This record gives sequence, structure tokens and C-alpha cells, in this order.
Amino acid sequence: MDLDEAFRNHGDKIVAKWVDYTLATYSSSGFFQRERDPFANPIGGNVREALGKLFPLLVRGVETSAMVPALEQLVSIRAVQEFTPSQAVAPLNAVKHITREVFAADRERRHFVAELYDFDFAVDLALLAAFDIYMKFRERLYKVRIDEIKSGSHILTDSRCPSKVASEEIQDLRLR
Amino acid sequence: MDIPVAFKAGNYAYPAKKEKVEYLNSQSGLSFPNAREWSPEDEDWKLPAGWQDIILRGLKERLEKFRSLKIFMDCCVRCGACADKCHFFLGTGDPKNMPVLRAELLRSVYRNDFTLAGKILGRMAGAREMTVGVLKEWFMYSYQCTECRRCSVFCPYGIDTAEVTMMIRELLHLVGVGINWILEPVSNSNRTGNHMGLQPHTFKNNVEFLVDDVENLTGVRPNVSFNRKGAEVLFITPSADVFAEPGLYTAMGYLILFEAIGLDYTWSTYASEGGNFGLFTSNETMKKLNAKMYAEAKRLGVKYIIGGECGHMWRVVHQYMDTMNGPADFLEVPKSPITGTVFSNAASTKMVHISEFTADLIKHGKLKLDKSRNSHLKATYHDSCNPARAMGLMDEPRYILDHVVDWVEMPENTIREQTFCCGSGTGLNTDEIMELRMRSGLPRANAVKYVRDKHGVNMLSCVCAIDRATLTSLMNYWNPDVGVCGISELVGNALVLEGETRGELDEGLRTLL
Repeated sequence: MDLDEAFRNHGDKIVAKWVDYTLATYSSSGFFQRERDPFANPIGGNVREALGKLFPLLVRGVETSAMVPALEQLVSIRAVQEFTPSQAVAPLNAVKHITREVFAADRERRHFVAELYDFDFAVDLALLAAFDIYMKFRERLYKVRIDEIKSGSHILTDSRCPSKVASEEIQDLRLR
Repeated sequence: MDIPVAFKAGNYAYPAKKEKVEYLNSQSGLSFPNAREWSPEDEDWKLPAGWQDIILRGLKERLEKFRSLKIFMDCCVRCGACADKCHFFLGTGDPKNMPVLRAELLRSVYRNDFTLAGKILGRMAGAREMTVGVLKEWFMYSYQCTECRRCSVFCPYGIDTAEVTMMIRELLHLVGVGINWILEPVSNSNRTGNHMGLQPHTFKNNVEFLVDDVENLTGVRPNVSFNRKGAEVLFITPSADVFAEPGLYTAMGYLILFEAIGLDYTWSTYASEGGNFGLFTSNETMKKLNAKMYAEAKRLGVKYIIGGECGHMWRVVHQYMDTMNGPADFLEVPKSPITGTVFSNAASTKMVHISEFTADLIKHGKLKLDKSRNSHLKATYHDSCNPARAMGLMDEPRYILDHVVDWVEMPENTIREQTFCCGSGTGLNTDEIMELRMRSGLPRANAVKYVRDKHGVNMLSCVCAIDRATLTSLMNYWNPDVGVCGISELVGNALVLEGETRGELDEGLRTLL
């Protein structure tokens, strides 16, 4: 029995608790935790899928770049919700504590708690990458806002009547 | 319900400007009192003296006037079938965005003042007094509802929660609480006939620019006319189609289609807006803005109206127009001059949808279509809420798509009657609430992402001008490689025109020459 076996044995349980913990950050989380159709429940579905993909990567200790798609799936959503930046990424860190709890509750495997240095390190890297991804999506959001303003629909508000502006320009030309 | 709402930058749309409210209040048939400078973030909203009485009198009046409201207030059994169907709830997890609880914000006040149980039992019967806190909740959550009516599809009693939102917004206007992104377009529409505030010559110039563009691309110059008396058909579409991308390409599609069949039609520079933000304001405003379309049809002496790809215009036409301004007896039941088809579904409103009209032309083999001209696209179709749920327009756009482009459906529980809103309808398409729009649009974007990943979809088609603007922003955030278009743009791309000298247009009507 080794650490890999412990992760294999308890992986599903850890991910399930991690998903529940993450979804519990929403004020009405019962439905998000219960409904399994990813289209009826996009937050629950995406969190479940993203964390499910991320966990084996953390166990294997892969390059951070390999974790980016799963992190983006999670963080792109939390970046536009009513979380502070730290709250948006905080649930990633929880997997460390959940893993310890699950191992500690298993008499045969509780000694692996002392061997989680590499796993913790992988989670730290994921958390750091998540900050970058959070900023990437915030910047994308600002760009979406600017693009919308530039597209001309801002003319609906905060601008003068285009016909009036056009007629003044014609008037100016005539005066010249 | 007892947790007070907190307004902060990004979670509310800007209040209406004082001068817009003053202008609207000065117009006949409209009432918009208490114009002032105010902010939702302020403790004091500068409500008028006796504001509770104004609200309660307003509610009483509406309960007597609208039987549907009385029924909706009484018959909800709080079964919760609607609770998890709202895109705002699904994107935020905020329980007050469950349609049942959003409606409860009004229902609790109704119980308190208009039911015996509420008067006797008070809070035990779910009753609440009308307080400033309740009013602030109304403002927060009636503007976190796009009146898309997805929840109503699932309600076993058929409660139209959108109408509850409409009533809350209407009551708020009685005390001067409204948002600028709605009231400025309303005031523009009242003044010049369209949301943009375009005057007749500018509207005409914009359409003529599009005529130039079509000629440059295809070698054929579409024939257009404005305010022409005696035309067979009056064509009305959202002004965004002649003013902003990507609606412009949809408008070019209309021009190409009408040219291809030689339709005897005219544009109006007065009825120059299909959209009716009155629907998001008050029934009087909706009625007034709707009336101009029919007044113009009467003035020009047309036989009937063809309506473009607009969303909520069709809800107004199909569900309210007849009892507000109809029946339009002076018009004829729409009959296609090309196929002879009589659109008996529009027998009362005399207004036929461009997709119904186009699908009929295709069915009768009257259009020469080259699907390969859309081979740069793999499309999917977003059922725009109002055409789908308020008028049952679901198969015609799909029939058109089958003939003009390679396309796939999104998952079943996100289309047709169950379609998810763009997240920015009912006048919520303003940039100060962009985060809110991104979360309420998540369910729709999530389904688009699925077909993008699975089938390589790169174009999201729809039949609504607000969709064309807001889904563009939604895709730019969630699925940046997916574009947005109207169905008529795809028709325009594929249509083979007589006498055309069209070269290879790699991106259809969007090709820059």
C-alpha cells in the first residue's frame, strides 16, 4: 500500500467533498449540489467537472500549464460572481484539508497524512495559477465592456442625439 | 426575505436621468412623477411624501384592472417548480432570484394589505408591510429578471412571473424609481420613433449605407423606399439592425431577400423601431409605443406589416397589442404576394414575422439558395425568448437554417420552450452591470460551449436584436471564438440574386472588400 493507492482508493470521496465545499460557497447551494444535469445546473456541472479533472493532475504533480483548462473552467465563473478575488480562488486550497480529513479517518491510511508535501506543493501551484487566471478573466470582462461601448450601443445613453451632431457638423461645413 | 439588499457599483443599473423622467412625464398619456437626482447606493432615495399610499393605491388599482395579477397573487402554492429554472438563480445562487421568491416580494405586500389572512395573521401568513427596505428589494430583484418567462413554462398553474416583474416595475415608476437604460430609449422612441433617437434623415441615410454595402458585395443594388404611401407592405425592424453590428448584416439580409423577390414594401422613418421598451416600463407606455406602428401602417395605406428579427416586439404584438390598440381592422390578413400563402396566424394583428415569411418562400421553392456560401460557418440556433415562448416561433427559423447553413442543436433542455435567456433582456443590456449579465447568461453560454467543443460551432444565430448585441458580449467572455448573427444574415449570404456579380465572399456579408 502506497500513497498512490491511497489517492486511488479515496479520490472519488475527496473530489465529492471538495465539490460540495466549493458549491457551499453559494448562498443557496442545495440545488447546485443535487442536480446532476450540467445544462440544468451549469455552476454545479462545471465545478464538478473541473475539480474532477484537476484532482488527478494534482496527485500526479503535473506542470501548471496542464492544469490551466480545468482551472479556467472553475475560475472564469467565479470571476464574475459576487466573490472577492481571494474568495474566488479559496476553494482550491480546501482540497489539502479535505484530503487530510479523509486519510485521517482511515485507520490503515492515516499515516499518509505525513507524506502530502508534494501534493500540497501542487495545490499551491494551482492556487497561484488561479490568481493569474482570475485576472485574465477580469481583464477579458473589461475588454468586453469596452468593446460594447465602442460598438455604438452606448449611443443609447450618455451621448447626444446623432442626428443633432450630424446636422451641426453640416452647419459647420457650410459656415466654412 | 429579511436580509436587506446592499447596492454597490456593478449590481444595479444606473437610475434614469432627471431630464428624461421630466420629459416623459410631460408627454400625453404617460405619467413619470418624482424626477430627481438619486442613487440606489444612497440611504435616502428621495421618495415622494406618502409614497407607501401611492404604491398601495397603485397596487389596488392594478389588482382591479388586471385579473391575471389577482390570480397570480392568489394561486401560487409555493411548489418550487420554478425555483431552479431561472438563469439569474442558476448564475448567482441567490435565493431571491428564484422566481417564486422574487414574486413573493410583491405577494407579501399584497397579503398584508389585501387579504383577510394577512390582515389578521400578519407575518404568520407571509405578510409584510410596505417599507423602504421592501421597496429596495423590489428595485434590486425586478431588475434581476429579464421577463423571459422560462419559469412560467414549468409552473403547474401557469403563473406568468414576468407579469409580476412588470407590475413591480410599474409600481416603482409611480414613486420615480426606474433605470436610465430603459427610460432613455423610451423617451427617444416617443420623440423620434426609435431607441437610438435617430431622426428621419439619419435613419434613411443608415439604410442607404447598407444598400451601398450590398451593391459593393453582390453587384446588385437593392431598391428601397421610405414612407411611401400605397406600398403593399410596411417593414418594421429594431433600429439596432440599421445602426449597430452585428445587426447591420441582418438588415443587409432583409434588403437582399426583398430585392430577390421584388417585394413592394416601404420602410418608415417614424415607425423606425420594432423594439418597445414600454413593455419593460408600464402598460400605458407599451401601448403608446406600439400604437405608432399601426398609426403609420394606416397613414401609409399598406395592406399589412412584415416584422423583422426582434424579440419583445413580438411579445407585445402577440399578447398585448390586440387588447391595447387592436384589432387592426383597417389592414388585411397578410398574404404572401409571391406564394399566395395566407398567414392566418396573423389574422388579427396583421403582422407577419420575417422568418415565417422566408420559410414559406423556401417551402415553395421561390428562393435560389447556395448553402456552400455559408460553408465558413458551423451554426447553432438560440431560440430568442419572446419569439419562442410568447409567439411559438420555433420551427420556421430551423427550417430556414436547414436550407442555408450547416448547423446543430444545443442540448434539449436549453432550446425551444426551455430556451435560456441571453441574460440581458428587458433593458438590462447596459455595461455598468456587465458581471451580472455574464452570470445570468452563463446557462446559455454553457450550452453554446458544449456544441462548440463537440461540433466546432463558430456561429450563434438568433432572431432578436437585443440578442445580437448581448450574445456578442456574452460570447466574447465565455466563448470568444463564437460569433453571433441573425437568421436573415445567413439567408442573405446564401441567396443567389439575379444579375449578381458577386466574387468569393469568404465571410459572406461580413467580408471586407
